[in-house]
Amino acid sequence: MPVTPSKDAPSTDFRYPLRWRVMDALNFMLDKFWPARMSPYTGWALIMPALLLVGLLVLGLFKMADSSLHTLDRSTFMQSEAYTLENYQTVMDSATYARVALRSVYAAGLTVFFTLLLALPYAYIMVRTTSSLVRKALLVILFLPFFIGQVVRAYGLLIILGTTGVANNALGLVGIEPIRLLFNFPAVVFGLVQYMLPFAVLMLAPALTAIPRETETAASSLGANWVQSFRHVVLPMAKPGLIGAGLVVGTLALTDFAMPAMLGGGSQDFIANAIYDQFFRTADQGLGAALALLLVVLGSLFVGVVIAIFGAGTLGMGAKK
Amino acid sequence: MTKKYSRRSVLRTGLATSGAALLTALPAGRLLAQEPEKPSEIIVRAWGGEWVESLKNGVSDRFTEMTGIAVRHDLTEDNEIQPKVWAAVAQGRVPPIHINWDTTTNATKSALRGVTEDIADLPNLANTTDLAKPVGLEGFPLVNTYGYVYVLAYRPEAFPDGPPASWRDLLDPKFKGRIALYNDGIGFHFPAQVAGGGSLEDIPENMEACWDFVREMKAQNPLLGEDPDFTTWFQNGEIDAACTISTNALAAKKNGVELAWTVPEEGCKFDTDCLWIPKGLPENELYWAKQYINLALSQESQQIWLDGLGLPGVVPGLTPPEGLAGDPSYPTEPVDFENLIRVSSAVQVQHESDWFAKFKEIMQG
Repeated sequence: MPVTPSKDAPSTDFRYPLRWRVMDALNFMLDKFWPARMSPYTGWALIMPALLLVGLLVLGLFKMADSSLHTLDRSTFMQSEAYTLENYQTVMDSATYARVALRSVYAAGLTVFFTLLLALPYAYIMVRTTSSLVRKALLVILFLPFFIGQVVRAYGLLIILGTTGVANNALGLVGIEPIRLLFNFPAVVFGLVQYMLPFAVLMLAPALTAIPRETETAASSLGANWVQSFRHVVLPMAKPGLIGAGLVVGTLALTDFAMPAMLGGGSQDFIANAIYDQFFRTADQGLGAALALLLVVLGSLFVGVVIAIFGAGTLGMGAKK
Repeated sequence: MTKKYSRRSVLRTGLATSGAALLTALPAGRLLAQEPEKPSEIIVRAWGGEWVESLKNGVSDRFTEMTGIAVRHDLTEDNEIQPKVWAAVAQGRVPPIHINWDTTTNATKSALRGVTEDIADLPNLANTTDLAKPVGLEGFPLVNTYGYVYVLAYRPEAFPDGPPASWRDLLDPKFKGRIALYNDGIGFHFPAQVAGGGSLEDIPENMEACWDFVREMKAQNPLLGEDPDFTTWFQNGEIDAACTISTNALAAKKNGVELAWTVPEEGCKFDTDCLWIPKGLPENELYWAKQYINLALSQESQQIWLDGLGLPGVVPGLTPPEGLAGDPSYPTEPVDFENLIRVSSAVQVQHESDWFAKFKEIMQG
């Protein structure tokens, strides 16, 4: 006697939803293309495009290192065949390059200091404010100049801070004669701080957001006033953001070209300006390459010293929990 | 009597006639059919502002009108296009421009490097003065197209007693921070050599007098920049005087800035700019690039082009632009050159890097 199928038995014409089937097909394709036995290498495959890109940079550095070992023959304006350390000797013997390098490092240090000094309260208020209107306003104020290129912003500063600019006009209203605000070292540092501020705020904001508001409340309930709470709770916990922002601002400032060129009045060159001169003004690629490598070394030293002092953990890399 | 014409001689005659047609401003329709294929455009590197406007009016627009070939002006800075062209030629690639409008010193570097085409066969060269011929180079790897003076431009308001008679007048404390020089000192080295008590004969061996005067000038905190900076600084009232090419002073004056210029008693540097063609162009594009330069050397083009720049050309019989006849920045007669300093490109090319470095050493201190 034939068995009558129960009404609860699964229907033979059941079909999986389309989305499942598409996903199954994709999984099948992926398995063909990248079989399960390859899974240990998945991470490497994902990182490969980035590695290739970094590899190109390293290749460029090798090429530059090679170029730095040849001098310029001014009778043919070609690089000499022979390998020599003469370009490095020129850099080491030059009082100009020593001054320019020191100025670059000093300006980068000042820029980091002033940028973090201004960025920290800005980021803190932006993160902690209970008013969404204030938060949005602070974000807009932050992002608007961020979308404008560095050269345009420097040009804007030329207009605002010039002898006949807005700043001097304002001073004139209170009877102060026009003063030269531009074309000096402070103007360059001011321009750099103005340029770097959004970078620093954007790097600090996530670090401050990660600090639970309750921690500050707990500090207050234990008797700490606002300053003590900020100093002993917020600052230490914001250290990864401060270090990260400091590194970004410091390396960008150290390698900057436009601000010293436009706001320095020609006498406040950084290393990047000296490199430009050698590559483009005197066509001495070897000397330019030697200076470029010096800049790489200085930048690497800066990053190395920061990591040595504060530890890679402050950047979220292998920190002790 | 019969005469046989070979195919080559007919072609040569045709090309020469085409060149002559451009020279004599014949319309495109009358150019002969033997012309090489026309490219859709040729690219001419140029300086911006008044400079490119003058070139456009005097040469580029006329070239397009005559040939139908568009001219694109590439405003990459001359110093920045140089390594790109050098790299392209070294790698056997087609260079990024057809014609480089360059300073003669920079162009001489390219010629020494062997990346320039010889343009000695241009018909209009026959009508040029000695100024057109590059000094110390074989043939015509470049052709000078005009001369210019690095004048002392000043605001008359800042000099109520009349134009500065000497470069040393700029050492007056009232001009502290109100003088501008090129950021490599170009144009200033030679007059500084005289103003510092030295002799021009000592260039390049002994230029200590020059550096002494540059040190004195450094104490005046001069602003250091490029052509556009000078115009902006004069317009914004940031400076009272500058060592600059007369064209920039003329452009600022045209834009309403109260400005004058002079050649002080120590003299001013006189130099030239030129046109050249990089190697590696396809044959037809090389031909039309040469025709462009040939047109630039015609009297009509020189007159319009250099009227805009306010500079003396390399073709005899040009009429000085309005107000510039007899001006020290517009030398034409031998007597006009007496107070101008001209040092050969060969010497400049060999020593310019050292001069720039020394100037920077003093100014960056």
